[in-house]
Amino acid sequence: MCTIVPISQTVGANRIVPTIAIPHPLGNPSKTPEEEKILRRSLVERALKALQTEITEQTVFTE
Amino acid sequence: MKLELQKLNVKSLKFGDKTGFSDGVLAINKAELIALISEDPMLGKNIDADIAMPGESVRIMPVKDVIEPRWKIEGKGQVFPGMLSDVETVGEGKTLVLSGCAVLTAGKLVRFQEGIIDMSGPGADYTPYSKTCNVVLILEPSDPNMDKHDYETACRMAGLKAAAYLAKSCSGLQADSTEVYEMPKIRDAMNSYPELPKVGYIYMLQTQGLLHDTYLYGVDVKRILPTLISPLEVMDGAIVSGNCVSACDKNSTYSHLNNPVISDMLKRHGKDFNFVACIVTNENVTLADKRRSSSYATKLAAMLGLDGVVITEEGFGNPDADLIMNCRKSEQLGIKTALLTDEYAGQDGASQSLADSCPEGDACVTAGNANEVIKLPAMKKVIGYQEEANVIAGGWQGSLSDDGSITVELQAITGATSELGYTKLGAYTL
Repeated sequence: MCTIVPISQTVGANRIVPTIAIPHPLGNPSKTPEEEKILRRSLVERALKALQTEITEQTVFTE
Repeated sequence: MKLELQKLNVKSLKFGDKTGFSDGVLAINKAELIALISEDPMLGKNIDADIAMPGESVRIMPVKDVIEPRWKIEGKGQVFPGMLSDVETVGEGKTLVLSGCAVLTAGKLVRFQEGIIDMSGPGADYTPYSKTCNVVLILEPSDPNMDKHDYETACRMAGLKAAAYLAKSCSGLQADSTEVYEMPKIRDAMNSYPELPKVGYIYMLQTQGLLHDTYLYGVDVKRILPTLISPLEVMDGAIVSGNCVSACDKNSTYSHLNNPVISDMLKRHGKDFNFVACIVTNENVTLADKRRSSSYATKLAAMLGLDGVVITEEGFGNPDADLIMNCRKSEQLGIKTALLTDEYAGQDGASQSLADSCPEGDACVTAGNANEVIKLPAMKKVIGYQEEANVIAGGWQGSLSDDGSITVELQAITGATSELGYTKLGAYTL
């Protein structure tokens, strides 16, 4: 999970889940705590899905 | 656009009854200077000023910013527009420069990313500000629990105020030397030198927030889309550093004012290439911002029909991604690039130097490895707080030894690996 996807690609990560911003990868202080919880959960679920997905090449999970 | 820099060459400093310049000596009325800075209620009662000269056994730390004293004596606007003065466009007329002199903002640490300036010894070779006659402001917040952003603002304004005050106090004198810079209108530049390549400068500014900020006419640069600026505006202080980022490669306000990329490109204009435009852009913290700004900056370069661009980075780490996006997108638009950066290759120099790279980035100038370790011997006098060596970026717990020596990475030395190339050290490939 990372914000700057091109860096993850350069260093050779296999499964990449894009996140929000460098100072707050899994949150967004401009949102309410309720909205942030939904956001965080969706990102974690996306990461879990990425881990369970068979891949043959470097893959960015945007959904 | 034409700007004349009228330079008074400062060779020495002294405290005196009246602030002014005579025979190479800048005299400073200390009480008047401190009274000016003390007007800000955000700053505490124990602020002080000191002077440090090249070659002295003096260590100044932690240093936040370095500013060259300048004051406009003819033309629209005033130095540091939108910050210290009105937002009127600058870059034309005449500006007085106290050349060889610098104001240093030091004192209580704003954040851990501040630097060391040794006026002699091995550390002095690595900072260009060991060669200037330094007026050091030793600052503190009025409330020790003050929000760091507020204290940063107070320190930044104190430095700008002091720099403008010193230069203003010397106006009306015959300049020791005069430099004239001219930047043609884009229309005229396009019709000039058809045999020469049209080149531009993509000027990246550190804008990550959380005390990593740069200002353009007082505007927080993270909020801009890339835009055009005349290099002459930069010489009048249109760009101001508000940065607490590693000391070695943050662009001080002094290095913006004296940006060697700009002055060298202006000198070579009409000879080696046709210097058409300068584009300022930012380094933000979301991928969308990085993609948007790099697309926009390089689009501007393509709209101007540039054949090549020089790109300078500020800071390191994720800004390397901005640098590479600017490089790759320029090259994809048929614009050749030359990159100016520094490296974080580990203390042994064996690690990957930049966080990102691309095959198109095949013309790259480095200002050095910021992780290189240096031992700085004890100095007879310390202005500021030496114990901060243990917490500043580039230092570690134990960096300061009992004997007063400091072992740190070059990262901790102000301006050591300037990505504008404002350094006194260089290397040649034989």
